[in-house]
Amino acid sequence: MSGAKFLVVEDEAIIAMSTEDMLIALGHDPAFTAENLERALEIVAAGGFDAALLDINLNGVESGPVADALAERGIPLIFTTGYGEIRVPEGHQAATVLEKPYTARDLENAIAGLGL
Amino acid sequence: MGKYLRFLSAGGEMGSRIREADWSDSPFGPPQGWPQSLRSTLGICLRSSIPTCIYWGEELRLLYNDAWSFIPGPRHPAALGKPAREVWPDIWHIIEPQFQSVYDSREGFSTTEQLLEMQRFGHVEETYWDYSFTPIIGEDGDIVGILNQGQEVTQDVLQRRRAEMLLALDRAVRPLTAADEILDSALGLLATGIPAERIGYGEIDTEADTISVARCWTDGSMAHVSGTHPLAFFGSELGGQARTGEVVRIDDMESDPATAEPGVRERFRAIGLRSGLVVPAAGRAGTKAAIFAHASQPRSWHDHHVELLQAFGKRVREALFRARMETELQDSERRFRLIFEQAHDIIFTATIDQRITACNPAACAALELEAEEIIGRSIADFMPEKDFRRTRQMLRHKLDKGGTTNYDVTVIGASGREMHWEINSTLATDSEGHLIGLHAIARDITERRAFEERQKLLINELNHRVKNTLALVQGLALQTFREGREPADARAAFEERLVALAAAHDLLTREKWEGATLATLIDDSMRAVNRGNERRVTASGGHVQLPPKAAVSLAMAVHELATNAAKYGALSNPDGTVTIGWHVEGDRLRIDWRESGGPKVEKPTRKGFGTRMIERALAADLGGEIRLDFAPEGLCCSIDVPLPGMDMDTAEAAE
Repeated sequence: MSGAKFLVVEDEAIIAMSTEDMLIALGHDPAFTAENLERALEIVAAGGFDAALLDINLNGVESGPVADALAERGIPLIFTTGYGEIRVPEGHQAATVLEKPYTARDLENAIAGLGL
Repeated sequence: MGKYLRFLSAGGEMGSRIREADWSDSPFGPPQGWPQSLRSTLGICLRSSIPTCIYWGEELRLLYNDAWSFIPGPRHPAALGKPAREVWPDIWHIIEPQFQSVYDSREGFSTTEQLLEMQRFGHVEETYWDYSFTPIIGEDGDIVGILNQGQEVTQDVLQRRRAEMLLALDRAVRPLTAADEILDSALGLLATGIPAERIGYGEIDTEADTISVARCWTDGSMAHVSGTHPLAFFGSELGGQARTGEVVRIDDMESDPATAEPGVRERFRAIGLRSGLVVPAAGRAGTKAAIFAHASQPRSWHDHHVELLQAFGKRVREALFRARMETELQDSERRFRLIFEQAHDIIFTATIDQRITACNPAACAALELEAEEIIGRSIADFMPEKDFRRTRQMLRHKLDKGGTTNYDVTVIGASGREMHWEINSTLATDSEGHLIGLHAIARDITERRAFEERQKLLINELNHRVKNTLALVQGLALQTFREGREPADARAAFEERLVALAAAHDLLTREKWEGATLATLIDDSMRAVNRGNERRVTASGGHVQLPPKAAVSLAMAVHELATNAAKYGALSNPDGTVTIGWHVEGDRLRIDWRESGGPKVEKPTRKGFGTRMIERALAADLGGEIRLDFAPEGLCCSIDVPLPGMDMDTAEAAE
């Protein structure tokens, strides 16, 4: 699906910005951006997007609750992480994980895997 | 032979000697005239298998049987018919009073183990006898002679005496551990059983060709010969015998051919040595020793002297060896005890069913118990069930395969403190190889484990930071190069941003990644862009400590503001100034960036990375509000961020 609406959850502004740019370049819409857990949960609760890119670690806090909230709503997600040893939040082992830094092509493949 | 001479009809050799002798010139007179008392007694004498003799008449003239004929040595057969005094000048002083007592008391006399120093084979011999003197009463009732029966018990006496001496020696040296004491004790005892004025013990060094006399006993009449002497002192023959461990027996060195070599006798005279006995001491293989006895007068050395010296030498060597072993064992025990006591490693021993039999202070310290509280308990008391099973498994492995096992277990101290011990355990056997238990050395690796955990975390964190930084660099690159600007321009901007990022990391590294103060951060960021224009930049504010992530974001934002000012703003002409001020208001930090005196500011037609960066990064990363005012007289940027996550206390303290 082209032109999907995305929630980008990323605590590093510059990375968030380039992710947004990548999504735009891939023909998607980075409709929402959240830099912390609380903001992300608010956006998820409000809805209005098709998929999420979720940093596993937000300023030292695991983003598991966001992943749970997304799952509850049946919204597909892609994890992103800066950690080599990937610790995917409990119950979300099936999700795709993108290791930072990732390329636009990596992101494209991951999105394709979502089956939007 | 007539009937009257039947008493002479038997008696073997002596019987025939008496029969054949011509008695007519002797005080006995011809046998036909011998009184009945003599006849009867001689009849008994000659027919006895016990050494028997008759001392007859006032002069105690001798008649004796075959068994007795060996007693006087070479004085037989001349002793027959001779007076006792002539036959026994050497022992007369002893037996004369005994004869006298028989005459006086008219009773028999008997003695056992009587010492008689006899001159039998050219030298004085120490002999012992059991014998009796029985009066022979004549026809008129007077004592006419003395019947003597007896036998030599020298061998028995000497053997028993030797046994007693050796027993005494064993008793004397058993408690001793000092070599000198053992030697002194042994030599003193030996002096009571050997007719010598000087006795010593020497160790022979065949390489140096010397004898070292460690200790020496003398009766006071001879000088000590302690010290090391060359074997050549004794001449080539005796020296050679000593070297090869032969018995050296010199009855009289003045006449012994073994001392004929020039100089030997002179040297012997100088140390008062006339007669000597040297017996090799049996001892440990590889070393030789000798025990020697010296006398100032000629002396005949007997086998029993040699045997006594040999027996003493053997025991002395054994005692010395035992003493040395005990001393070494004690030293070794002390050394190992010290290692045991002082080792940082935990050491313990246990029975084969894993009950602790000993433990060192390191073990006590680790378990937080006294040794008495540990010894006797099972090691199961100090570890979780699972770990105890592991020790059982390791024990089985050792029992099956032998050797040592090396494994880690969790151990619990008295306070419940959990430790990780790396245990190296071996089966303990006695000298015959029988299993007696096990001993183990353990090291508390709890700290090492924790360190390894910490290190693993650190490495992971480093990996995370590197990846995160690379992602950041990727973001910078994507943002910088997407603007459609001149490639050279973009590259320069990218480089500057990388330098700014690096500078922010440098700052954090200097602060050990615990954060950075706002003043330092702004100072560093401005100086990088604004070299040479420092006086046109004024920065002031209180002490505010920023957490690492906020510091990096803010540093990047300040970099963008400074770059913008240098390119288009107040620092792009010679006169403009930048004023940066900050203060804490309640729980919020306010930073004001104010440019003035620069070219007229025009609001940019589209947001460049710098602007986006400032707005987004600060808003997102710091969770604050950013206001960018492109006022014509100069750009103003107001940053208003909440303080949580920052060091509030120091921020307030700075106010």
